[in-house]
Amino acid sequence: MNKTITYEPDNSIKKGYISLFKEIFRELKYNKWLTLQLFKRDFFAIYKQSLVGVFWAFIVPIISVGTFIILNRSGIFNFGEIEVPYPIFAILGMAFWQLFSTGLITTSNSLVKAGSMLVKINFSKKSLVIASSAQSLVPFIVQLVLVGVLFVVYSVNPSVKILLFPLFMIPIILFTLGLGFIFSLFNSVVRDIGNALSVFMTFLMFLTPVLYAKPKIGILIPITKFNPLYYLISIPREIILKGSTLEWKGYLLSVGAAFFVFIVGLVVFHLTETRVTERI
Amino acid sequence: MNNSSTIQQFNNLTSNDVAIKVENVSKKYCKSLKRSMIYGVRDITKNVFGMSSNSYLLRKEEFWAVDDVSFEVKKGETLGIIGPNGAGKTTILKMLNGIFWPDKGKITIKGKVGALIAVGAGFHPMLSGRENIYLNAAILGMSREEVDEKFDSIVEFADIGDFLDTPVKFYSSGMFVRLGFSVAIHCEPDVLLVDEVLSVGDSVFRNKCYRKMDEIKRKKDVAIVFVSHNLLTVDKFCDKGIFLNKGKIKSYGGIHKVIHDYQSIINQLLDKQKSMRGVIPGIPYCTKEVKITNVKYLGRDNKEQKNFSSGDKLGIKIEYKANHTIINPIFQLSLFNKENVHISVFATHIDNIKIKSIQGKGAIECWINNLPLLLNKYYVTVAVYDNTHNLTFDYWSGAIYSQYFQVLPNRISRKMAEYTPVCKFDNKWIF
Repeated sequence: MNKTITYEPDNSIKKGYISLFKEIFRELKYNKWLTLQLFKRDFFAIYKQSLVGVFWAFIVPIISVGTFIILNRSGIFNFGEIEVPYPIFAILGMAFWQLFSTGLITTSNSLVKAGSMLVKINFSKKSLVIASSAQSLVPFIVQLVLVGVLFVVYSVNPSVKILLFPLFMIPIILFTLGLGFIFSLFNSVVRDIGNALSVFMTFLMFLTPVLYAKPKIGILIPITKFNPLYYLISIPREIILKGSTLEWKGYLLSVGAAFFVFIVGLVVFHLTETRVTERI
Repeated sequence: MNNSSTIQQFNNLTSNDVAIKVENVSKKYCKSLKRSMIYGVRDITKNVFGMSSNSYLLRKEEFWAVDDVSFEVKKGETLGIIGPNGAGKTTILKMLNGIFWPDKGKITIKGKVGALIAVGAGFHPMLSGRENIYLNAAILGMSREEVDEKFDSIVEFADIGDFLDTPVKFYSSGMFVRLGFSVAIHCEPDVLLVDEVLSVGDSVFRNKCYRKMDEIKRKKDVAIVFVSHNLLTVDKFCDKGIFLNKGKIKSYGGIHKVIHDYQSIINQLLDKQKSMRGVIPGIPYCTKEVKITNVKYLGRDNKEQKNFSSGDKLGIKIEYKANHTIINPIFQLSLFNKENVHISVFATHIDNIKIKSIQGKGAIECWINNLPLLLNKYYVTVAVYDNTHNLTFDYWSGAIYSQYFQVLPNRISRKMAEYTPVCKFDNKWIF
């Protein structure tokens, strides 16, 4: 292997956009194993010195859903019209939601967290971001198991389309990654991005119908209508629970938007990643 | 391969042998964190929209940390970068590694780059040695097959014994560095960047590392860039060098010349600020209570001489000046050939010679009968220690001051030369 590397200011810009995609693809392919290793590292780092380990992923949704049930029973909070038992509805929604929220927070912090390493070793930063987004997969799987248990407990039969869940994950993950690529860049230069994000995330969860049904009155109607997260999370849930949905158009548009965000994020990241280490 | 004439020859070769080419490279840093943030966001945004960030211009509170630096390193060659702190040495290394990108100029590198910069940086404390080997190797760009294949060799070189499956946070710092170095050295780069890493670890391991680096350099034709404050190591290990100061190249060429230039500038600086004690990086801290004023190579007739033949008598005369009465000083001499092979060491305490005391100006001579050396250039290094051998009064190196002597060929050594031995013993055949 005797390839020649050149480092020059504004290197990627000079090469043009077409060769850019080739370059990105080659890099991702070459670093598959690295990405896996980085994922393993993050995974073990979280769960190794922990007694209950992966079971934390059970505890978090149970507590938050439990809280909402208590609020509901006390007449403070109204879920809206839900046809299935609320815990199933809520935990399934939470599983898809945290795929986005955990994913976005970990990816946005990935470069900053690895800062001391990035200034010492030159390795694929894309792998680092991708590996950290995969951190949300573990709790997702665990919560899906929890939903399965709840189906049995409440003797509710989901649609067979539940088997499509890997397909439903893809647009959410791509959307998260696209945003994560951009946020991680800016976060490594200006730390406010990361702080703002964790505050904003809770706010966003309450704005998105994750723990309640689609609202029928008030300001949330237009917000929900143009919220891609609503489609990406609630439509898969509806399909899994009922087998069909009436909002195909919104869903497909949101999927398209997710792909677009991913591509833009990836390109932006590729164009500017060389500027980041010196500012971290 | 150690003097400047060989480097001249190198330059005449085809450019195919060039492993690293650095052309007019500059790198700027920003002094203020707030501004650095603003500039960062601005540059990123510009790049996103396909605009150049005009990085060749200095903005407010920016300065050139590396300024218009050019050099080349060929395959199998070792370049040493020396200079005071803040000279830009590490920045250059980071640019060669692709961690930082130049703001001006161009860097071209042929082949795979490996770095011995802060070894073990990719380790996760919670993971075991075994897991960290795989992780670190992946980060350093090795493939899974490569690691599987080299795993045993990595473990063996690191010499971590039963601790392979222990989390590395329980490792001693020595073990940590050994494992990190071992992984890094096994990634078989075409270009190797080394930064000061070997200042940690015990001397046994350090020597092992140097041997290993020497081995890969010779066998695999690796180009090495070596940054160190230890001038002795640089002198021994490098073929050519760069002396950097405040981001600019002050001297570039054969390593002895570069070290000499560096020292003369350091000495000028020290003369200016007399109050400062002379600590020259790499040279042991010298109290200068005894100064080595000159070292001469003497011939049979007690006269200074530069050319000798095998079998001659060689005297090494060390002239010194002691500021006050020094009790039981130790004089030590090391003999090297121009390839920096340490041929022998002579010391008063080894030979059980006790010098009662010295005071004022004086000289001491060490005589070698029947000089067993063959055709080559040689030099000595001289050091004066106190009676415990812990405190260095002064240090002198013939390589740095270009004080060599030559052994000319004679009838016998000419015949021996084809086998390239380093010395000739006084031997007898009995039959």
